[in-house]
Amino acid sequence: MTTHRNCEGLQRRDCLKLGLGSLLGGGFVDSLRVRGHAEDQITRKTSCILIWLDGGPSHFETFDPKPNAPAEIRGEFQAIQTRIPGVLFSENMTKLASISDKLTIVRSVRHDQNNHGAGNHYMTTGAPTRIPVSCGAFVSFHPSMGSVVSFERGARDGLPPYFSIPEMSRSGGPNFLGARHAPFVVSDDPNQQSFMVRDVTIPKDLDDGRAVNRRKMRSRLDQFVRFHDQAAGDPVMGADENYQQAVSLMTSAAAQRAFEMHREPGQIRDAYGRNAFGQQALLARRLVEAGVPFVTLYNGGWDHHSNIFPAFRTQGQKLDAVVARLIEDLDQRGMLETTLVIVMGEFGRTPMITTLPGSTTPGRDHWSSAISVLVAGCGTPRGQVIGATDPRGYAAVEKVYAPENLVSSVYTKLGINPDKILYTAAGRPTHLVSDPRPIAELM
Amino acid sequence: MIFRQQRCDSCNVLVTLVAFCAGLMSYHSNVQADGNTASAVITFESDIQPQLTRLGCNAGACHGKSRGQNGFALSLLGFDSDFDYDAIAREGRGRRVFPSSAEESLLLRKATGQLPHGGGKRVDVGSSTYEEIQTWIRNGMPRTPADSPKIVRVVTEPSSRSLIPLEKVPLHVIAEYSNGRRRDVTEATAFQSNDRTIAAITASGDGIIQAGPVPGEAAIMARYMNHIAVCAVTIPLPGTVPDSAYETLPRNNAVDELVWKKLKLLGMLPSPPTNDATFHRRAFLRTIGRLPSVEETQAYLADQSFDKRKTLIDQLLERPEYADFWANKWADLLRPNPYRAGIKAVWNIDAWLRDAFRRNMPYDQFVRELITAQGSTWNNGATVIFRDRPEAIEIGSSVSQLFLGVRLECAKCHHHPFEVWSQDDFFGFAAFFSRVGHKGQGLSPPISGGEESIYSKPSGQLNHGRTGLPVLPKTLTGVPLTLGPDEDPREALAAWMTDSSNPYFPKVMANRVWAEIMGQGLVDPVDDIRATNPASNEALLDHLAFEFRQQGYDIKKLIRHIMTSHVFGLSSTPTERNISDIKNFSRYYRQRMRAEVLLDAVNDVLGVEEDFAALPPGSRAMQLWTYRSSSLFLDTFGRPDLNQDPPCERSVESTTPQVLHLMNSPALNRKLGLDTARPAKLAASNKSSQEIVVEAYLLAYNRPPNSEEQQIAIAFLSEGDQRRRGIEDLFWTLLNTPEFSFID
Repeated sequence: MTTHRNCEGLQRRDCLKLGLGSLLGGGFVDSLRVRGHAEDQITRKTSCILIWLDGGPSHFETFDPKPNAPAEIRGEFQAIQTRIPGVLFSENMTKLASISDKLTIVRSVRHDQNNHGAGNHYMTTGAPTRIPVSCGAFVSFHPSMGSVVSFERGARDGLPPYFSIPEMSRSGGPNFLGARHAPFVVSDDPNQQSFMVRDVTIPKDLDDGRAVNRRKMRSRLDQFVRFHDQAAGDPVMGADENYQQAVSLMTSAAAQRAFEMHREPGQIRDAYGRNAFGQQALLARRLVEAGVPFVTLYNGGWDHHSNIFPAFRTQGQKLDAVVARLIEDLDQRGMLETTLVIVMGEFGRTPMITTLPGSTTPGRDHWSSAISVLVAGCGTPRGQVIGATDPRGYAAVEKVYAPENLVSSVYTKLGINPDKILYTAAGRPTHLVSDPRPIAELM
Repeated sequence: MIFRQQRCDSCNVLVTLVAFCAGLMSYHSNVQADGNTASAVITFESDIQPQLTRLGCNAGACHGKSRGQNGFALSLLGFDSDFDYDAIAREGRGRRVFPSSAEESLLLRKATGQLPHGGGKRVDVGSSTYEEIQTWIRNGMPRTPADSPKIVRVVTEPSSRSLIPLEKVPLHVIAEYSNGRRRDVTEATAFQSNDRTIAAITASGDGIIQAGPVPGEAAIMARYMNHIAVCAVTIPLPGTVPDSAYETLPRNNAVDELVWKKLKLLGMLPSPPTNDATFHRRAFLRTIGRLPSVEETQAYLADQSFDKRKTLIDQLLERPEYADFWANKWADLLRPNPYRAGIKAVWNIDAWLRDAFRRNMPYDQFVRELITAQGSTWNNGATVIFRDRPEAIEIGSSVSQLFLGVRLECAKCHHHPFEVWSQDDFFGFAAFFSRVGHKGQGLSPPISGGEESIYSKPSGQLNHGRTGLPVLPKTLTGVPLTLGPDEDPREALAAWMTDSSNPYFPKVMANRVWAEIMGQGLVDPVDDIRATNPASNEALLDHLAFEFRQQGYDIKKLIRHIMTSHVFGLSSTPTERNISDIKNFSRYYRQRMRAEVLLDAVNDVLGVEEDFAALPPGSRAMQLWTYRSSSLFLDTFGRPDLNQDPPCERSVESTTPQVLHLMNSPALNRKLGLDTARPAKLAASNKSSQEIVVEAYLLAYNRPPNSEEQQIAIAFLSEGDQRRRGIEDLFWTLLNTPEFSFID
């Protein structure tokens, strides 16, 4: 299958077939990039693709291996060289290692929420949960990054500003920002031949005039009273926002085009990998191209309490391939300068490898004291590692940052002031991020 | 012994003693007596442990993690004093503390950042906390004597307070000891507000409540040594309302009285009653989950009797749809995934639930039959809960959460920071299920087709997760029970749960029923009842619980009690004096219909039937017995996700995909255009456009159109070829407006 092909060869061949010249050769690729920049200054703004690894990926098996730690901490994998001198990744991250000069790893994020419900909330909103919650919880006390970006930035051509593919992460909702800023979820698999985003097009047997007439009729006959004061919290106001969004999505040609995966050249689709995750990443890129400022790529199954090593040989390698391809593709198109790519989960994993009662294979448990986050693009320095954990990976000890700092960095890069005050429906002031200092090394 | 007696009886003597021995004794400022004498000797449990908690040393992400941090492990928030003392004073070959040279102790060097510390600098050298710990080490790390007074409870002073916006008032936290002593522990207390923007404790650490700029309510939780107290803060709406405004409000029953009382406290007034048509629609949707027919609506609107609202509620409660609607709600809580528990088992528990609601089984009996179920999963549907959750600790935590509103799950591993429940409580509770026997074919996903028998074994034991020792069954309020071989511990549990002195049991169900009828729980989330998540109206919840129990746990009577209140019939339209109210029921809160209700409503309006897999033709969505029956409509509008365990609560927030689905889904458009559907039939009838418009309004909105609506709608309709098309479009229009999909 295409996913097993050599990365470098693939790039070159793709570029040749597309007539873009070789990667290193400059030429057309560079001219594309220049054009991209010119466009930026007029219309394009920055975007973010958040690759959310639900469950909490191990820092040891990704970007913070500890080759000198005892075997019960080190694990089965070797550490491999990257393009950053002295920096090692875990052995399944080969493709990312080979483009490590395009990205930054923050090895020193930590927090104190060791369960999925609270960890998800903290990392995706930048705020700890207000009351303690447990692993099974899907809670929202504060708007998620995607919803804030939707609120602050909006999108063009009727496209929803915030997509979540193929589902919303637990705390990925809008909270007090309102239903309009909930993610637009594309649950269908873009790797399927028949892929279309359901319900966004007018039914085939309905000629367009009739659909327009129906909407006109609706606008005249909808006389249900609305309580416009935000403090009243009228859920119908949210439904209205959804209706407006639905109509603009249906009527925008540019928006509809972003969903049409078949327009993408076959070689590019191959390069991303002909699997759901690969094509979802490609869809994310298409959406960003169409002007969507925030896309969450939700990828589940990273809660490796058991079976961690076989999982990283398959799932880990797939992640490596897809993320590396996405970053390279964005770079080749000149989009990396305006697109922030973040790869993270709720937390890291425990240093000591253990086999849980009732399990037969070893794994690692939840560990929020050491979290590795991959950051690329949008002016992020290329080829660096920020912070460090101790020699056994127990805790972030150098340049320790909190989720607040990470989330503030994202907002700052997207042109949103993390220190601003938002107001809830009842008019209560709330800081967007309680600690608005971004991670200086990312800026 | 003499040492201890002296300490208890006369602190002065002790101070002299210690000062003599150690040569150093500083008065430490954070221990102050409330009129009583101060405890001057610094001991582990009463002085050092609270500091470890306050400083965050034993927090979940630091040394409180179950495996500790860098080899130094403390119990989470200090729930295990023996363990913590050993960790500090004995482990690590005593490196952590040096009595002879206290300032060289690792404990202090790390905490002050003098040595690299993952958790950073927590204490300043020379601070009062530093001095306290140093003195304690120098004195040889004394433990608090076992017979010294214990903390009985912690209280906040005041325990409730009304504030004006931006006001600041001091809050004191007092620990009360078994010897009657009261001690101000404010400085060593951790605070948390459930709504920081309304009111919070300032960062200064001296317990000042700071009110925010807007009116509302907040609960400020204070935690000191695993004891919790809450201070309720209210910031009323500015301006005054004369008492007479409350005195003249209607009081159909005690519900009204208690709601008005709360509104008075907040300076709010209720909205006026809603109109008949809205009430009629609301009552149908809330009791039986379906829209009234054209005839029912017309008859109700024409009825002139003064008590027709009450009559309507009585009639609705006797309808057969009642059972399906309420069983369906309970299925959300109990229904297993057929891929896990097996199709037949899932079908059986569904049938059991429907039967219970059909018979209006008293709620205590309902719970007793479930939790003591015996027999085959193919015959007695109630046994299926034990098939789905075969382990005592699994079924234990779900029983406590579902029926007592107590979330014990956290306590499985550690003492919960915001709960009073300990590991002992968790395992003691789970031990009631330690004798549940399973015979036959157990779970074998993804088919699990076999039959299993659930029975009570003569013996069986559950071991404590931390100590590994066998645990005896113990209720949350009782003592450990020793049971004979022929006794089923579950019977004892059921007896305790349904006993008239159980404080949790009736409250949880009363709150659930209230939430289903009023659109929102008094406690929210509905099954998370605890001091730190107070009800928006505690007195009302107490009343409902009392009433429910008095009426023999009759669910229909409870529903009737709530629905016949004046509060249930209020308009949803806010007034100036309640616009910001979103939890005190000063007006009815609008809510989108839940997925099954909405799908049935769409089909009823269009006069079509849904074709569900695994159900006979003509079945309603409300009759589905498994979430595995595929329906894009139900998925879009939300139903429990069986891949989550436990499945999360349904969300009723509306989303853009839902709007798009109602507008564009091929399935819905096919229904609109069916020859057998209502639009085609109306088109073929000899009814006039006006008659058709009236009928469409009565079907979808359950009210006649006003004259303006009638004119506009008629103008869109046409005769001849286009007649049917126009009628279809009218139905599309009504189904795509919020007046259809919301309960108002």
